[in-house]
Amino acid sequence: MEKKYKLNRLKTTNDIRPLVDQHWASLREAKAKGEMVAWASAPTFIFAFAMGMKCHFMAGYSAYCGGIGAAVDVLQAAKMGGDLAESCSYHRLHMGMAEAVRRDIPINPDAILPIPDIMIAGRLCPEMAYYAEGLNRRLGVPVLPIEFPIVFDREDVPRIKKYFAAQIKETVIPTLEKVCGKPFDYDRMSEILTVLKKVVTVRNKCWEFFKEKPSPWTLWDYGVSIAPLFYMMGNPVGIAYYEKLLKELQERKEKGIPAIGPEGEKYRLYWDGWLPWAFLGKFMRKLTPHAAVCLTGRYLWEFYPDPDMIDPEHPVETWINLYYDGKEPLAMEYAPKGALHDIGNLIEDYSLDGMIMFSSKTCRLWNISQLDVIDILEKKYGVPGVIIEGDMIDPSMVSDSQIDTRLEALFELIDARRR
Amino acid sequence: MEKLLKRIGEITSDPYAYVARLKEEKEKRIIGCFPMQVPEEIVHAAGLIPVVIWRGNEAVTWGHSHIPPYYCGIVRSFIDDAVRGKLGFMDGMIFHVRQCLLIMDIPLIIERHVKPEYMKLLYLPPVYPGKATRDFLRSDLELFKKSLEEYTGNTITDDMLKSSIAVYNENRSLLERLYEIRRKKPRILTSAEITKIVWAGMLMQKEDHNELLRDLIPLMEARTVETATTKIKVIPVGCLCQAPPFDVLNMIEDLGMVIPDDDLYVGSRYFANKVNIDDNPIEALAERHLKKTPVCPTKGVWDVLWADDVEEMVKLNNASGVISIHVKFCPPHACYYPDFKSRMIEKGIPEILVQVEHEMLSMEGIKTRLQSFTESLGGNNGEKI
Repeated sequence: MEKKYKLNRLKTTNDIRPLVDQHWASLREAKAKGEMVAWASAPTFIFAFAMGMKCHFMAGYSAYCGGIGAAVDVLQAAKMGGDLAESCSYHRLHMGMAEAVRRDIPINPDAILPIPDIMIAGRLCPEMAYYAEGLNRRLGVPVLPIEFPIVFDREDVPRIKKYFAAQIKETVIPTLEKVCGKPFDYDRMSEILTVLKKVVTVRNKCWEFFKEKPSPWTLWDYGVSIAPLFYMMGNPVGIAYYEKLLKELQERKEKGIPAIGPEGEKYRLYWDGWLPWAFLGKFMRKLTPHAAVCLTGRYLWEFYPDPDMIDPEHPVETWINLYYDGKEPLAMEYAPKGALHDIGNLIEDYSLDGMIMFSSKTCRLWNISQLDVIDILEKKYGVPGVIIEGDMIDPSMVSDSQIDTRLEALFELIDARRR
Repeated sequence: MEKLLKRIGEITSDPYAYVARLKEEKEKRIIGCFPMQVPEEIVHAAGLIPVVIWRGNEAVTWGHSHIPPYYCGIVRSFIDDAVRGKLGFMDGMIFHVRQCLLIMDIPLIIERHVKPEYMKLLYLPPVYPGKATRDFLRSDLELFKKSLEEYTGNTITDDMLKSSIAVYNENRSLLERLYEIRRKKPRILTSAEITKIVWAGMLMQKEDHNELLRDLIPLMEARTVETATTKIKVIPVGCLCQAPPFDVLNMIEDLGMVIPDDDLYVGSRYFANKVNIDDNPIEALAERHLKKTPVCPTKGVWDVLWADDVEEMVKLNNASGVISIHVKFCPPHACYYPDFKSRMIEKGIPEILVQVEHEMLSMEGIKTRLQSFTESLGGNNGEKI
């Protein structure tokens, strides 16, 4: 008789939804309370937070839309505004929200955010700037642009770091001071980083549990827990959340409770690219019956893996260094050479059996040379991988049968190599 | 004139053979420059022949192992050509990796499977305000120059660079003149022929293209064109990075429309904006990069509107409508397009979108759209040209 596997859900992750809801509610209510609002793409929100602004984060908003089931209606509103289905679904969600407000198209009210006082367009991916440019053309909101280059070769890091730093000092801080009518609050930025350092430190202890066999938690558990590390940065509730999570993981280890029951995972997998925010349940339902579990991913490891890099005494420099300094500058991990290095480390550190390379059809930020990356890694580590095409948000881009076929192929490959 | 057009047709019908032959004839190294913003003048000043990388005319085969189908035609086609060994005549390749996300896929694949003698990644910034951006742009161009010096073993002096800029500026002036003649006598050449003339300039050594244009322009000036036919004038817009399919241009004209001008990359956008030769040459090339017009959605310009640019072109040509040609899976154009469309509506300028792909399975859909557009503009009862 075929063995039945089931997912043992963590209890702590139930706490995240109210925290996230609270974050977005406070943003929706900000204007009524006379607070200033910014929208941000790429990790630039910290500068708005330092100034006491309420700040949205582009990908975070998109994940939230997916999570609350609002994405389909908002994407439809974007279509009514003329957006092409092939455009980045994060871009379309923002355009859709703006169209819904402009044309009074009914969408989930929780997906409607206040029009900001400024849009901080971090151009990590060029498409992250298009939404701000588009909203400026439609709504007239001022844009504060920052070129935030992905770096392909280490030799280019120092000069690009210098450029990034110069933009922050020359443009970002003075513009925010002008918009807010007060000096930049370096002390508040230090406080935010102090909290982040604590959260990251505890999070890293949680990461250690991914090395356990069987693992007591999944990448999806971590994926739904990233807000305190990122767009809720500086909120002390993040420390309490991760401490509680750590405690639960320790208890699970002691009691021998794996993420996948009854006796743990059969396949330990790497997940490349964005998490499919609107389809987390779908993927989990497809993986669990095979006793397959995703444990690591380059995207979710970008949230400040090294707490020693965070120096609250030097807040602005810390932010620059996090992306453009150290042994593994985060700005390199999007590009293939950085990806190869990072994924290779994850395969070895977490004893992985296979790779799922999620290739988004509309946002290609994590897709860069993915087919060649998978080929190189397979040859180097002997770990097979498959591409799964889809989208983070848009259901019209996600095919069940394609996912099923590719997952089955992956499990067959892993089994064949084990024999 | 037919002889010159025949030569241009030969170059553009098989650019692979032409460029390979060029390399042998000139005994110079060929450097492929991925469109659209690589400053070719620096490559030229290094004594090399810069050619603008093109979209091939074959369906993607081996490329499928390296690039998904939901990438734009030129990236897919170029990678396919590269991994099939069709670009062996290119000694070097240059990619501006900050232009769009799709270009970022190319470098690793080229490094792994082609290994050209010279490969350079540029990080040219968008047109953002502030000294930091200008300083970085200049330093990126200086490093580019230095890398070419190291590759060739020769110093590129300011005078050499100014001399190359002069050649390129002359090319821009000649193409401007060609377009002026076309505006006055729109049917003097077909739009496909005009596009091929511009495209040939991206493949030829610029001095040779200048010579060709110097021969061609007087012939065009002298030729009279029948003006009695009633036709509708339209402006094609977009088709970033690559030449539009000639079938589409021919179809527009076959349906009774005339193209007196264009806002296409392989068209007026390529030769827009001369470089100021009196400045420090690197500074001058940086200034050209920082020009906000013609508006390009890859360059981070939001305070000047593309639709305003095109409206000027429509007025200048007394055109009746605009045909947006969007290369499927070109994110910069796709994300900008709704705003362009809505401004066209506000301005009362009829506009239609045509999407083109590398492997066009059928032209019928495009034909139907263009037929409807023609009829909405009044069929063949437009103004006399």
